[in-house]
Amino acid sequence: MFNDILQYILGLGAAIFLPVIMIIIGLIVKLKLKKAVIAGLTLGVAFTGMSVILDFMFGAISPVATQFVENTGIALNVIDVGWSPMAAIAWAWPYALLVFPLQIIINLVMLGFNWTNVLNVDLWNVWGKIFTATMVSAFTNNIYLGFLAATVQVVLELVVGGASQKQIQKETGIPGVTCTHYMLLQALWMNPINKLMDKIPGLNSKSFETDKIKEKLGIFSENSVMGFIVGLLLSLLAGNSVGSSLQVAIKVATALVLFPMVAKLFMQALAPIADAAGTFMKSKFKDREIYIGLDWPFMAGRSEIWIVSIILVPVELALAFLMAKFGFSNVLPLAGIVNIIVAVPALVVTNGNLIRMFILGVIFTPIYLFVSSAFAPAATALAQAVGTITIPAGQMITYFGVEAPLFRYFISTGLSGNVIGIVGLIVMAGLLAYYIKTMKKKDSETE
Amino acid sequence: MKKVVVACGSGVATSQTVASKVESMLENEGINCHVEAVDIKSLDNIIDSVDVYITIVPGSKSYDVPTVNGIAFLTGMGIDEEFEKLKNLLK
Repeated sequence: MFNDILQYILGLGAAIFLPVIMIIIGLIVKLKLKKAVIAGLTLGVAFTGMSVILDFMFGAISPVATQFVENTGIALNVIDVGWSPMAAIAWAWPYALLVFPLQIIINLVMLGFNWTNVLNVDLWNVWGKIFTATMVSAFTNNIYLGFLAATVQVVLELVVGGASQKQIQKETGIPGVTCTHYMLLQALWMNPINKLMDKIPGLNSKSFETDKIKEKLGIFSENSVMGFIVGLLLSLLAGNSVGSSLQVAIKVATALVLFPMVAKLFMQALAPIADAAGTFMKSKFKDREIYIGLDWPFMAGRSEIWIVSIILVPVELALAFLMAKFGFSNVLPLAGIVNIIVAVPALVVTNGNLIRMFILGVIFTPIYLFVSSAFAPAATALAQAVGTITIPAGQMITYFGVEAPLFRYFISTGLSGNVIGIVGLIVMAGLLAYYIKTMKKKDSETE
Repeated sequence: MKKVVVACGSGVATSQTVASKVESMLENEGINCHVEAVDIKSLDNIIDSVDVYITIVPGSKSYDVPTVNGIAFLTGMGIDEEFEKLKNLLK
């Protein structure tokens, strides 16, 4: 009987079952009924809103993408929808909410045993662990391995966040916090390349007036501007007239502006519960000195991040075309094209050296393209499982940013027994030890 | 009604976390106030209509608007002082 009810509710789709669960959790953490109901419904609205915009965007871009492929022979049939729809899709995974307690318990246990001094209070980015779990589950056909991967990621975030704390404090001037976002896992791979660059003369100059450059380039980081430009470019290359290309461009711009607006609804729904959980965790370690792990935006004051992610855009498009031509990737970078995700770990590794950050961005962009392309079938299947999103035949969605591409790719393939994946994980373990050593050395030099 | 904005890199995750927290703290004190999460890039355009700016990007561009440290609301360290400051600004 209970099972029947559960199956019935799950069958109604994420936009119904997650609000129901949300209201129940809200009442458990003692929210007022009114607040719990509003939070639950807001979550349902967020899902439905995200589906509406995705449908709208596909309506505009699908025919163009098809024409583009016919016209140019370059197979860019995987659309990068950016992080916000991907987060929505990840939350809709039936086991998603279990990752919340998983992260909290692992963190408390590690703090309890003094294995870390970082408390990750960024509960929004639980979705990043959910996404990893969904990819691993899809690759291995095993949900438990998905949770194992999520567990590894939770631990890695704390370890890397802890190792990077002093460096991040130096870059931002903010004491007592660190970044526990999984985008920092890429720093492990960037670190040895940065070490190599130490040996190349001319890569040490830091004489840029970054604030001024950012002032000039800043307009390109606006979703509306970037959406318009990429939409227009794609449509023109597809052989459409200027008039119809302008119409496509404004529609793509619309979708890219609306995505974060809807994503904000997810936050509004999750905030009361995330806050209750965060306060609970903080209360457990009142008299101990711990670093609070946060999402990346407290570093957004560094102009270098914006400059590098903007000037990488043409490089990304060129590499996307090139890699599609040779069959390594089919991803058209779109919603995630201003790839902050590659710039933040580069900032931490290079002490904010603009030239090095750019070089690292160029070197690593093909990896984001390759991995996001490899994840496209699983991401598309996941989106279709939400029930409300229709993706046109012959096309797929993915998330070009994919944050920790190498970790996610190696753990997905490694856990399904692939040798390259296993070797990748072993290399990554070695790089982690090297990163910790490098950061310790850096810290002692600056003290 | 006074207007408070919180800005972060995307205007979604971190800023909304702080905005929701501040709004509910103010509500508990009986202060009715609109707290909005925005994208830091759009701050230039709206800052003139804002009464208090809660920053989570210390050290970045500053404005001629009373500013409160938003990091305190994320970490819990110094949260009482910052909240007092905010309440005084909204009186």
